[in-house]
Amino acid sequence: MTFEKRRAKTKQEIPTTSMPDIVFMLLMFFMCVTTMREVDVLVQFKLPEAKAIEKIENKRLVSYIWVGKDRKIQINDSLVDLGKVEELMYLKRKALPEVIVSLRSDQSVDMGLITDIQQALRKAYCLRINYSAMIKV
Amino acid sequence: MIKKRKIPDAEIPTASQADLAFLLLLFFLVSTVIDVDTGLGLTLPEYVPPDEQIEVKVDTSRMAAVLVNENGEVLIDGNIVPVFKIKDLLKPRIESKISLPLNKKMIVSLKTDRKTVYNIYIAALDQIKQAFFEVRDEYSNGKFGKKFNDLNQEQQEDVKDAVPIIISLAEPESIKK
Repeated sequence: MTFEKRRAKTKQEIPTTSMPDIVFMLLMFFMCVTTMREVDVLVQFKLPEAKAIEKIENKRLVSYIWVGKDRKIQINDSLVDLGKVEELMYLKRKALPEVIVSLRSDQSVDMGLITDIQQALRKAYCLRINYSAMIKV
Repeated sequence: MIKKRKIPDAEIPTASQADLAFLLLLFFLVSTVIDVDTGLGLTLPEYVPPDEQIEVKVDTSRMAAVLVNENGEVLIDGNIVPVFKIKDLLKPRIESKISLPLNKKMIVSLKTDRKTVYNIYIAALDQIKQAFFEVRDEYSNGKFGKKFNDLNQEQQEDVKDAVPIIISLAEPESIKK
């Protein structure tokens, strides 16, 4: 007596036509997850909130100064001393005369430090500043 | 006789073009940074060395001195007020000077202690700016029937001339140790 093996008559193949698509999707995902930020922010800060805020129209003109809650100051992508602020900002202004300095400072920083930075900016002739703030709802 | 050779069809398959376009679109959609920088704009005064500074007497009626101390208490012209009241106190004073020439307009001077917290400084500055913006809006509403932001360039200049935002940051006192 012979047993007949039961077998489905359909093809037993995995369709591979969509594989490139799936691969592309994965590629896209990893491309998206990769950060494209120009500078790494090395300080911790929480921006204050305000209502009467304006948008900076021209992003090209913006140059950032970060002030962390531990009073560290960051310009470009490195931490700097207060005394170096003037020199660095002067170079920035020379390269871009209409520079707008965006001060991204933590809300718990004391005004003494902010005033010192402002004095340095005045000496460096970077007079257009913008206190970065979130919209208060 | 030379037989004419049949040239095979030379075509680029275009079926996948849409896919490629979508991928590119996706890429640019994702990589575009949408968040706009927002904040309080201000123009700092030029730096003048202390020995070259000239004191200019300003009429006290066009001057509002806002002082913020280290505890976050606000003093306007000698009276202690809560931070959120600054706007209401300044608005009528700015309004009363709309029709006056530029050299008689309102000046708001903001001064803080070195130990004042940044957050309170921003809150005070925000209140002052709000006061100016609201006066601007009301003035343009009365004159053009529109809000300041909906006006055209020329009209905006007109309103800016009538209600200039003059915020003076007081010269910091020398550091006491």
